[in-house]
Amino acid sequence: MPPVTLTYEDGTVRVAGAPAESLPGMEADARSATGRAPAHRYREIREALRERGRDVDDRVLDLPALPALDSGYVLREYQREALDAWEASDRRGVLELPTGSGKTVIALAAIVAAATPALVVVPTVDLLEQWHRELSATFDAPVGRLGGGEQTVEALTVATYDSAYLRADELGDRFGLLVFDEVHHLGGEGYRDIARLFAAPARLGLTATFERPDGAHEAVAELVGPVVYDLDPDDLAGEHLAEYEVRRVEVELTAAERERYEAAQGTFVDYVRDAGIRFTSGSDYQELVKRSGTDPRAREALLAKQRAREVMMNADAKLDRLARILDRHRGERVIVFTAHTALVYRISERFLIPAITAETGTDERRETLSRFRDGTYSRVVAANVLDEGVDVPEASVGVILSGSGSEREFTQRLGRILRPGADGTKTATLYELVTSETAEERVAQRRR
Amino acid sequence: MSLAHRGVRSGRSVGRFRVATPPRLYRPGRYVRRRPVITKDLLRVSRRGGYRPQFVAGDPDARRLAARVVGVYQGHVGERRSDLDDALEALEREADDYKLVRGLAALLDREATFETRAPLPPRRARRVAFEAAETVGAASAEERATVLDRAGDRLGVDPSEIDSSLYADRDANRVLAAFDPRWDPEELLVQYDLSLAQTALFDATEVRVRSTDPKALVSAAKRLGLLYEIRVREDGGPTDREVVITGPDALFRRTRRYGTAFARLLRTVAATADEWTLAADIDDRGREYLLELDDGDVSVPGVEPLAEPAFDSGVEADFAARFRALDLDWDLTREPEPLRVGASVMIPDFAFEYRHADFRVFFEVMGFWTPEYVEKKLAQLADVEDVELVVAVDESLGVGEEIAARDHRVVTYSGTVRVKDVVDVLREYEADLAAEVAADLPAEVAPEADAVAVADVAAEHGVPTDALDDVEFPEHRRVGSTLVRPAVLDRVGDEIEAGMAFAEAEDALADAGVTDASAALSALGYRVEWDGLSGGTVREKSP
Repeated sequence: MPPVTLTYEDGTVRVAGAPAESLPGMEADARSATGRAPAHRYREIREALRERGRDVDDRVLDLPALPALDSGYVLREYQREALDAWEASDRRGVLELPTGSGKTVIALAAIVAAATPALVVVPTVDLLEQWHRELSATFDAPVGRLGGGEQTVEALTVATYDSAYLRADELGDRFGLLVFDEVHHLGGEGYRDIARLFAAPARLGLTATFERPDGAHEAVAELVGPVVYDLDPDDLAGEHLAEYEVRRVEVELTAAERERYEAAQGTFVDYVRDAGIRFTSGSDYQELVKRSGTDPRAREALLAKQRAREVMMNADAKLDRLARILDRHRGERVIVFTAHTALVYRISERFLIPAITAETGTDERRETLSRFRDGTYSRVVAANVLDEGVDVPEASVGVILSGSGSEREFTQRLGRILRPGADGTKTATLYELVTSETAEERVAQRRR
Repeated sequence: MSLAHRGVRSGRSVGRFRVATPPRLYRPGRYVRRRPVITKDLLRVSRRGGYRPQFVAGDPDARRLAARVVGVYQGHVGERRSDLDDALEALEREADDYKLVRGLAALLDREATFETRAPLPPRRARRVAFEAAETVGAASAEERATVLDRAGDRLGVDPSEIDSSLYADRDANRVLAAFDPRWDPEELLVQYDLSLAQTALFDATEVRVRSTDPKALVSAAKRLGLLYEIRVREDGGPTDREVVITGPDALFRRTRRYGTAFARLLRTVAATADEWTLAADIDDRGREYLLELDDGDVSVPGVEPLAEPAFDSGVEADFAARFRALDLDWDLTREPEPLRVGASVMIPDFAFEYRHADFRVFFEVMGFWTPEYVEKKLAQLADVEDVELVVAVDESLGVGEEIAARDHRVVTYSGTVRVKDVVDVLREYEADLAAEVAADLPAEVAPEADAVAVADVAAEHGVPTDALDDVEFPEHRRVGSTLVRPAVLDRVGDEIEAGMAFAEAEDALADAGVTDASAALSALGYRVEWDGLSGGTVREKSP
């Protein structure tokens, strides 16, 4: 029997000289007159062919040379257990570990164990920076970077989910291991393509919260593997994480703000009442957005709602309270969060605190974070860009000026403050600044 | 706007700091998408009875709106981006369709140059201010002023210059320095329509194209990493075929992954082909729609597609010109639709389409290029789908027999392809087709007109003139190339007498609708005595 030839072609494995009986995921492709399967089935196809004793001309992976690696880290007990569990499940699977438990260290150990070119996929540019720094510092090998304005590929490469998605067809044969940081992102319909189109047999997912309300984590489990190890935040609290307390501060709108708020809110409420929209679910809001495309009144209502929200978010009293908080915590390390870019810049200009938003260039972002890390800056104000997993050690005060009400955001922002502080502070404090008697207060209530 | 806006601040001329793009190690991938010009939230599409982008080219209201949007940009040269955005938003509120305003603005934005104008490089101003704030703290307004003083001292500038430079490089604060649109308002609408159609294709899972330039289509598809196949519609005739284009992963599921590639393909199709149609399956948040576009909907501003693809060789160009001069019952098409060759395609040089039946003969001219070329052609000819294919082979190649063995007709040539050789082959097809063509003809035909050209009757029945040879005309008499009622012919005959000038007799016959004067006179028993080149006299035929 002639050998079966496996080649990689734009996110698929092309199977020539295939056996008559079907292979996992393979279908007949009239366009190329061969068999073809999505690249992620490569490992199963190879195994199936081996079981049948077929000769295989395997040209799927085109792996660059990788020097011998050694991370030098000593793993904590639970980190060792997590790594062993992943190895035992054929180097596939998800580790569900709380923020601050050292997921990065485990991933570095996994890369050493797999000893194959690895692509680390991360959700934000900040995490891209952080992983790049970590990999470069740990291993004596060049590290590629896809995203944040750079496109370089090395045997060890870090990519944003967006860049990995865009280049999956082309780079899917270059890595033996995929590491997905914040793997729950992979559940998004488009991002799944990354896992589907790469042929890499070894896969590791990392997250603090694997389950998604939309059930998409099941799709992730199929592409990366199931949860092979998990640990509760409570198991770690006290031992590895700092104590923290939450302080909720209510502020009032000024009379002028109140007037502007009521006017805008009134326009919105009137339209919604007339149109018979009830807002019992998120889809009602979608309905309004849809209507605004064709109905100028709906659009006006939507814009009015936006104005009302802006009044609420930007309440002057919040800046006054923020001034008091900054005053009280002089000398401590403070991170201020707010979802509104315009408010970030207002705070930055008013208090002369460095800002990080989606607008900030890669270079300046890198510089600001590094100066925050080394203590040159003790304060930073950021939009949501720092939401996930960015390694910002030593901060002991957090201030949230607005919230979307999403539980994930809340816990992950909180998690950042929980890290042990080196400035002598025993307890971390999280301030939540909300405007009273407005919809914003209800958002804060719902989270409790 | 005047230059005054570049004006003077704090008594000093205002410096300019262009933020340079950092050098990139950039390897563009095939699927790396440039951001769509018109984002999906600005897509304007009607879903009533299909999926129809709301095109605007030629609409006078849209043209006026386009002119206003252009005017807003022109009027804001020298102003901050946020002021421009406010003016555009005001226009959005006035216009019936804010998405159209934003879409047009998105196109014009690419023609605009923004730059940072500030007394100090903003990043430097920030760094110094933030560092100063670390030592003083800036919780109160007084402290803030102290911080700015210190920062000013360090750089030797006025504190207000620090303050006004802090975020001058934010997009919202950058200044519209120049605006040079490539398009006038009408062209802007044409560009808008193209961009709109491209945005609609972002959600496509499969596209099917018919184009008068399939070669450009197929090579663009390859370049974009797409796969294609030829689909012949069973119920259609042999000409009803289209190129179906998908991406590798489409085998396993419907995917919108190749939407950007499809959008770029559309641009190629619209820029190269004179006539084309494109059908796309659209996945609109889980609902399926059919999007249909053609050359009447979308074009590329400033690009005139060629009516016919350029010729590859002089042999082909020469042949096409000579063949068309003959005016046969066959229409010649350059680079017709692609033919399936296993998992690939072949685009023959010509097709001959029979005017009187749905029948097509493909024609490939095989010149001498390289051994590899000949090898590839032979392989193609061996595997090409089952169609009527005539191959002209340069004698020196000596591969005629090999091709004939693959069931194709062969015409050999040396130097130029002889049209007669090809016509002879086509005649053979005509003979085969004659029976089929005549089968639909009635045995008797009685045209309404008193006099009518045989060719017109043939055209009416969609048959070649020859096919009427076996048909009876009970009410008419055939006079040369004309059919005429005997009574009409007799009446004209009364007006004609021996000795008349030929021109006069010709006029009388023409009045009655008889164009073939010589044949009619002969039928009436006359002959013409020609007088030089200018005219002649009607005479009785000698018995």
